[in-house]
Amino acid sequence: MDTKDILAVIEKFNQTALAEFKYREGSVEFHLKRHADVVYASAPAAAPAAPSVPAAPAAAAPVPTAAPTGETINSPIVGTIYRTPAPDAPPFVEEGKSVKKGDTLCIIEAMKVMNELVAEFDCEILRVLVDNQHFVEYGTPLFEVRRK
Amino acid sequence: MIRSLLIANRGEIAVRIIRACKELGIRTIAVYSEADRKALHVKMADQAICIGPPPSKDSYLNISNIVSAALNSRADAIHPGVGFLSEKAEFARKVQEAGLIWIGPDPDAIDMLGDKIRSKENATKYGVPCTPGIEGAITNIDETVAKVKKMGLPVIIKASAGGGGKGMRIVRKIEELSDNIKIAANEAEKSFGDGTVFIEKYLENAAHVELQMMGDKHGNVIYLGERDCSVQKNHQKLVEEAPSPLVTPEIRKKMGEDAVRLFKGIGYSGAGTIEFLFKDGQYYFMEVNSRIQVEHPVTEMITGVDLIKEMIKVANGDVLSVKQEDIRIDSYAMEIRINATAPGTVKEYLPPSGFKVRVDSFLYNGYTVPPTYDSMVAKVIIGAPTRAEGINKMLAVLDEFHLEGVPINLELQKKIINTQIFRKGGFGTQVLDSIMKEIG
Repeated sequence: MDTKDILAVIEKFNQTALAEFKYREGSVEFHLKRHADVVYASAPAAAPAAPSVPAAPAAAAPVPTAAPTGETINSPIVGTIYRTPAPDAPPFVEEGKSVKKGDTLCIIEAMKVMNELVAEFDCEILRVLVDNQHFVEYGTPLFEVRRK
Repeated sequence: MIRSLLIANRGEIAVRIIRACKELGIRTIAVYSEADRKALHVKMADQAICIGPPPSKDSYLNISNIVSAALNSRADAIHPGVGFLSEKAEFARKVQEAGLIWIGPDPDAIDMLGDKIRSKENATKYGVPCTPGIEGAITNIDETVAKVKKMGLPVIIKASAGGGGKGMRIVRKIEELSDNIKIAANEAEKSFGDGTVFIEKYLENAAHVELQMMGDKHGNVIYLGERDCSVQKNHQKLVEEAPSPLVTPEIRKKMGEDAVRLFKGIGYSGAGTIEFLFKDGQYYFMEVNSRIQVEHPVTEMITGVDLIKEMIKVANGDVLSVKQEDIRIDSYAMEIRINATAPGTVKEYLPPSGFKVRVDSFLYNGYTVPPTYDSMVAKVIIGAPTRAEGINKMLAVLDEFHLEGVPINLELQKKIINTQIFRKGGFGTQVLDSIMKEIG
């Protein structure tokens, strides 16, 4: 495979909907990846440029498998989310459970301060959109909910 | 060792800092408000984190969100840029307490300069000439009136916590003094949460001359020549040039040595600017800005020193890469601020270029300038052998500045530097009135 061939592959890759493409043959090896798939931020519509140095994956909140369609409760601050009151305790809320206005949904730690996020209205938690101990930015959707 | 850096700012200065980091091989983390999702600094950085809604107080001034963003993105350092939190000792302290490197002077040094009364006391202590005035804050209005009668009018009332002309009043009649003190204190209280005001003799139409300073953590401090920023509108600078037509090499040396003594005295490291009022060959200490300034490219153009890179290196603990004897002021540079006069969407943007032409901006085709923040959208900087050549060069360069979709002050700026008054040089901060008369 020569440079011309590689360029041809890149061109074809661009025409497909593939997110990633790895190729290896003998000593030749290359890896194509689309920018949109390394979105670090999980807030809607935020699409920062691809990192020239890979961002630390452990710190990134995962992009939900499907974008929430209904109403969401979003992070009001920047910090680390804790879904449980203590490491070995059960989560504050689970998918399918209902919560009352004022119930604690999770804790967001910012600068060593534990900030409780409480529900502002009665609702059912349809989906939890972020994993425990992941980093959230301002506006990151945390829970998909249905008002009651 | 700084391997990654968070830029706690937006606009052209964020872009400028990201560029310096890229040259140094430092990973960059941008922060942005919801109004800045499509901003250039967000696109350019290796990583970008949303820190709040559009109002600055909830985003670019939100210390907790910014420090959290830095910790979670594993940044080693924070560069505050200009404005916003750049001169807040409280922010610098929080950054350091979080185990991050603060790109700027030590918070204690910021404290010694942040308050105008205190910075004046420090300037006096280290032998920097100050504007004559009544020492300390105004506590008793009747006593103050008596003292002003003795000192003579006109005087200027200033807010100790002040900036940008807030809480500042010029008084020419003694019977108007006490009311103006109350108004200034009230305005200062509203703007800065601190109503402390003081009085200085008002120097009619003095020039605004400022020295670029740079120090490291090993006790070295140098001055990189002055900038003349006398063309101002409502205390906002419009044109900056270096060297000042008023400053001779002898005055520059004396002023520089005075400033170095003050900066060494308070243990200053990083970039800083000491501002002077200049009249009849005399300079008077006004204030220190303990951060990089918008007009820093003027100094970079004539000295060849990259001030942003130098800031990052000295924060990292490196020794200053330039010595005083390396700084030569033997050419001319000018900066023009291009301000948007209304928000808008960029339809077509084609900035000028060429030999010793620099444009720092965050505009791109399709970008919408939000109404939320500062109106400056670009800075055009030129370098030339002499002032006369520099003015002609800037006029030619500005003719090339092409922007459709966002209304800007370009034509006015061209007229200003093309007047007889500007070309003659050697004017004070009230020059814009005379310039506007000449333009007609």
